[in-house]
Amino acid sequence: MTAMAEDLRGGRDVDIGDPLAIAALSLARRFAGGGTLWCIAPEWPEHARHVAVEFVHPVLVGKRALPAVSVDASDPAVVLRSLVRSGDVVLAVSSGDSSSTLAVMRRAEAWGAMTIWIGAGEPPTARAADHILWVDDDDDEQKGLAVHDGRMVLLYHVLWELTHVCFEHPGLLAATDEAECGDGEVCITCSDEGRLGEVIATNGPSSFSVRTARGVEMIDTMILDAVAPGDLVLIHAGVAIAVLP
Amino acid sequence: MTERTDFLYPFIEADERDAGALLIDLAESARGKAAASAELRRVTLEQSATAVGAAAAAMTDRFARGGRLFVFGNGGSSTDAASLAALFIEPPWGRPLPARNLVGDSAVLTALGNDVGFDLVFSRQLMAHAGSDDIAIGLSTSGNSRNLLNAFTEAANRGMLTIGIAGYSGGEMAQSRHVKHCLMVNSDSVHRIQETQAALGFALWRDVQARMANEENGR
Repeated sequence: MTAMAEDLRGGRDVDIGDPLAIAALSLARRFAGGGTLWCIAPEWPEHARHVAVEFVHPVLVGKRALPAVSVDASDPAVVLRSLVRSGDVVLAVSSGDSSSTLAVMRRAEAWGAMTIWIGAGEPPTARAADHILWVDDDDDEQKGLAVHDGRMVLLYHVLWELTHVCFEHPGLLAATDEAECGDGEVCITCSDEGRLGEVIATNGPSSFSVRTARGVEMIDTMILDAVAPGDLVLIHAGVAIAVLP
Repeated sequence: MTERTDFLYPFIEADERDAGALLIDLAESARGKAAASAELRRVTLEQSATAVGAAAAAMTDRFARGGRLFVFGNGGSSTDAASLAALFIEPPWGRPLPARNLVGDSAVLTALGNDVGFDLVFSRQLMAHAGSDDIAIGLSTSGNSRNLLNAFTEAANRGMLTIGIAGYSGGEMAQSRHVKHCLMVNSDSVHRIQETQAALGFALWRDVQARMANEENGR
């Protein structure tokens, strides 16, 4: 994120153009790498369907069809846990305080998925997703109206449009995703300082199978009191060192 | 609006390695599209003010008689239809009003599509559900979707209030005598059209709410 944001800043105030540009290139890179786009909108499932149909059936003749799926489930984390593969993208269209969206977003790293969160009204915290695309509605009479009047739709339309522009630049699609570690520097995501994992099964009193961005790993949980499937844990050197609340 | 990026990178794309120039151009393109969308919304709402008011007044009258709203469209417009129905039945403020989208039930859509053809998937639902107090709103960017035109014919024959929301210059919907009120978004971009169609739907909802509040206060 940082490198791309630096490229764009150039002394100018950041506006919606910058995060859209960065999200589009990152999304195009995931598609180019074989990733699927999973769309959720727990409060407004029609918006997830709208995003997915844009990518699957482009309105412009000649644009490639890209794999996008809308998931309409009361608890999308349960479904996405099985569907999402490492290298995929999860996109939510949702209010900033949706608990079911938050449950997906905080797990996505363990699934190896990049996250995009689109919405209007009160935004989530800055680190709740890799890419947050939000309608600036500070001047509105009431927050959140942009959900209904087309201004939120604009964000995913433009994301689709820019993603296809990126496909005209194949040399830039092969580049390492900015959220991943590729240049030898230690990054939080990939270092062993504390990788995120989601417990998927019990193998014995102190051994668990844990899903991480690298795949399924056998993790020692001896130093933890109790761990159950679905729990998020921090992993260091093959050992789960903490359960996240 | 033309896509600047189509011709800016004539060099050998496969060897391109510096994403900086592309990102700057993408961000500029995004800003341009956002500005174009905002301007189209402003102009359309301004030009459609009288038509929106007339349609909203007629809708308010139908709701007061116990009428219900049925909304339909294809593809992205089907999701916009669902959003519009949700706005009426679960509003951010004001009175919840009975509204349904005709695109939400895959059993009904596939049964009708398979047995009688996709051109009739909406009209056959109106035959089953709708009466003369009810309202039909169809959204189409082209204005030419056959299943919408068929639905408007059926709706008009049943005495429903018919409202079309179309793009470009309205297509066949603008010409159809079965579409009583046709709101148009004069643009040739499907995306910009859909964004402003949502704004028109929101304006309709808002006007209906205001009229209902006025009538209640006036009593």
